[in-house]
Amino acid sequence: MSSDAVKKRKPKVIRNEAGTPETKRGRAEGEQDVLVYNEEVELEGRDPQQDYMLYKDTCAALAKLMAEIQELKSGGAKVGSVEMEERRRQCSVHFITLKKLNRMAHMRLKKGRDQTHEAKQRVDVLHLQLQNLLYEVMHLQKEISKCLEFKSQHEEIELVSEEEFFQEAPAEISRPHVTRDDHHQLTLARLDWELEQRKRLAEQYKMSLARKEKIHKAIEQKREYLSSLQPGLQSIMQASLPVQECLSMPFEQMQKQAEVARHLPPPLYVLLVQAAAYGQACDKTLSASISGDVDEAKALSRPPEDSQDDESDSDAEEEQQNTKRRRATVGVQLDDKRKEMLRRHPLSLCVDLKCKDGSVLHLFFYYLLNLNILTVKTKVSTTTDLSGAVSAGELLNSESLLNCLYASDHGQETPNPTNRYQFDKVGITTFVDYVSDLGHPYVWVQKLGGLQFSSDGAQVCVLMGNALSASHMERTMKLLQGRLQARLALHKQFSSLEHSIIPVSGECQHLFPAKVVSGLTRWTMMSYQEFTVRFFQSGNTLSNRGIENQCLKVWFLPVCCVRRICSSWRLWREEQSEVNVFRAELQGPRPGLQLLTNQIQRLCVCLDVYLEMESQVCDGSEGPKEFPREKMCLRTARGPSRLKPFKYNHPQGFFSHR
Amino acid sequence: MGPVELLHMSVFSQSFSPCGRFLAAGNNYGEIAVFSLSAALSPDASEGSQKPILNFTAHDGPVFTLLSTDTHLLSAGNGEIRAWSWAELIKKVSPINSRNTSTQVLTSLEIPEINAMIINPKDNSLVVGGGDNNIHIMDMETGIFKSVLKGHTDYIHCLCFKEREGEILSGGEDGAVRIWDSRTNRPVHCIEVFRYEVKQIRMRMPQFGKWISCLATDSDWMLCGGGPSLSLWHLRSMSPTSVFPLPGCQREAVFHQDLIMSVGEGPYVSHCLHGGTVKAQIPCTPSSLNTLALNLKNTEHRVMTVGGSSHQIDVFTNFSYRAFSLSF
Repeated sequence: MSSDAVKKRKPKVIRNEAGTPETKRGRAEGEQDVLVYNEEVELEGRDPQQDYMLYKDTCAALAKLMAEIQELKSGGAKVGSVEMEERRRQCSVHFITLKKLNRMAHMRLKKGRDQTHEAKQRVDVLHLQLQNLLYEVMHLQKEISKCLEFKSQHEEIELVSEEEFFQEAPAEISRPHVTRDDHHQLTLARLDWELEQRKRLAEQYKMSLARKEKIHKAIEQKREYLSSLQPGLQSIMQASLPVQECLSMPFEQMQKQAEVARHLPPPLYVLLVQAAAYGQACDKTLSASISGDVDEAKALSRPPEDSQDDESDSDAEEEQQNTKRRRATVGVQLDDKRKEMLRRHPLSLCVDLKCKDGSVLHLFFYYLLNLNILTVKTKVSTTTDLSGAVSAGELLNSESLLNCLYASDHGQETPNPTNRYQFDKVGITTFVDYVSDLGHPYVWVQKLGGLQFSSDGAQVCVLMGNALSASHMERTMKLLQGRLQARLALHKQFSSLEHSIIPVSGECQHLFPAKVVSGLTRWTMMSYQEFTVRFFQSGNTLSNRGIENQCLKVWFLPVCCVRRICSSWRLWREEQSEVNVFRAELQGPRPGLQLLTNQIQRLCVCLDVYLEMESQVCDGSEGPKEFPREKMCLRTARGPSRLKPFKYNHPQGFFSHR
Repeated sequence: MGPVELLHMSVFSQSFSPCGRFLAAGNNYGEIAVFSLSAALSPDASEGSQKPILNFTAHDGPVFTLLSTDTHLLSAGNGEIRAWSWAELIKKVSPINSRNTSTQVLTSLEIPEINAMIINPKDNSLVVGGGDNNIHIMDMETGIFKSVLKGHTDYIHCLCFKEREGEILSGGEDGAVRIWDSRTNRPVHCIEVFRYEVKQIRMRMPQFGKWISCLATDSDWMLCGGGPSLSLWHLRSMSPTSVFPLPGCQREAVFHQDLIMSVGEGPYVSHCLHGGTVKAQIPCTPSSLNTLALNLKNTEHRVMTVGGSSHQIDVFTNFSYRAFSLSF
């Protein structure tokens, strides 16, 4: 309230606080005589301390006045009395003073602030300048260091050493008077010299290259010329073939074979050499030849380092590819490993054995690389057609043709004991499964190839390689030929037996009496399992005179030539032993191929004798009495087992006991 | 000896050594094998102890009969008798025969075999019967044939001796059992077995024939069999008392204590009682048997051995079952 009154009192005074004249109220500038009250100027003249004292005094006076007023009011004076008004006026004056002091204070404060602000600003500017300068300093320093670090390319060039340079370079380049003192010049000079030298060498290089090209061309030409000679030589060789044949010196063939033979694995090579030698020396019916893929064989024998590197790279790539495309199953991997283990050498040997009647036994020898054994496959080719006999189908079967050529040599298992461990790794249990594919690994085949395994029998054989092969060659070849002939003869006999004819050759007629009443009615095949199961039932049968109840059944076991006889009412040991034990008599002329037919014939004779004798001894209730006694013999029974006379004596023609 | 020959071997005769510890067996190839019973019966017997300790060829024909005296083994082959010293045999020495005699030969074409030999202990003579239908009596000390008993019409299968009366019984292929007096060398009786029947059971089995192949006596009783069924006879009355219903022809029969044991066709040993019943049939390896022998001389090795149409000889330690087999 009093401040409002104070404000109303001085509206026209223009205050000039900022120090610059203002024309706020719209007064014209012409009025120059307006009072300008510059409090600021006044401010500078006043002492703050004094002002403070003034303030305190004023406050005290005010307080005193107030107190007096109070006293008056309480004394019961009226509001608006003269003393109170006086005092009120004084109070107001004091208030004005206070307000002025307040203004002063404010103005002082402001001034102080302004000054501070200004000083700050000046400081800031300077600071900024400082920063700029510092930054520039740093920048320049960096630049300097960069310049100092600069490596020029010229330092990478290998220059010749200084002494050499001074010695070799011509004077206009080296300029020693300059360069000895000035390092920079020296370096320049050296670089120049380097350039010179390099240019010279480049020239030389170009020239050498050109020379090389020329020589290359010359070589090519010569090569072409040589290869053009080759067909000419071939034609000469061809032309000389008839000459070779005429002179029976098959050089070319032998050369070719020798060339191929170089790539054979060692056992096959030994076999080839020994067989060829044997054929030439002893047995003209034997011939040996090589068949198979020579290139693969060459590939096998390539030096291992190159192939190893290639293999390892290609393996790595392949593996990655494989794992990306598809995961090979464990079974397939094992299969592959097995196939790898059972791999055959690409070359194989073919040995042909010819027999007198023209049939040929072909033997194909293979070498299994990883197992280090030889196997053999056979084939028989005959001049006549052998398809007649049904029961003889198995005789010339290549699987079993060479079984047991030597005792207990079945060719079903590998004779090499180390193969057992190799098979375990890839999970092959027996070799039998692969025999039909790969051939039979007979022991005699290994011996012919010079391979000796420690499990071969009790005797320790000192021979190895060629000597081993040579020691077995003759016997084996003879056995092979004998086997083939025997089988062929047997085949013929079987086919005639199927027609119920017992073919007894002329040389063996003397073993039997002229009249043989019993005969063959039926000849069939039976498997071994059937034989063991149906022992008393059908088999190869023999009967006499076609009377049903007199049928005998006879089994022929192919391997050991034993004939088992069983009749419907009792076992005939004596007849069996007659036929079997005394078979040596029935061998016939060498090579004893008539054994089977003679045994059958003898069986018929025995049956005749038995029936006749038996009907004499018993009182006719065993067999009908129509077996009259036609055979001549001294006694019908002998010994505690009452043997019948089965032995036929020629030429007297009577029967006796053994 | 290949496998075929082994398959077709037949054992025809056996004999125990005087000490009872060894067995000699003869087969159809003319070989005699000596087996050591003590080795085969010992607790640590092995495969090897079932093989012969000695095996030699005695004759070129089958050895149909073997006989042991106190010191020697007598073997008979085709018309000849050989004597081997047991002492040498035991020592596994291949022996040289010490004595070799042969009977007179009837025809020149065939040499008759000797099927049976027995010893007459009373006058120390050897009675031999064989293929020439006659019985020959030989003096053991001198080796000379004393007499010939003729009477059979076909060859003789078996011989037997009655101790008490001193009588020789012979059975032959002609179906007759003849009884001879050994002192006078004369025939006493002749029984044609095939004509008889017991309790309506005909002894004759027509499909087999009438031949007699086994004889055994036990003082008053006689066993005979062969083609006709095995039958027990009372000798004093000369009549059959029981017939044994065995399926095959019997080749050898013995009296043992209360039993009658017989072997023949069929892979078993038959135990029979005197009454005519078959008590048991013990199976054995050979498919038919030719010979049965009891080792009664030695109480330690009291065994029964049988042999027949096989290369194996079965040994019975307890007569009720087969213990093991010796093989040639």
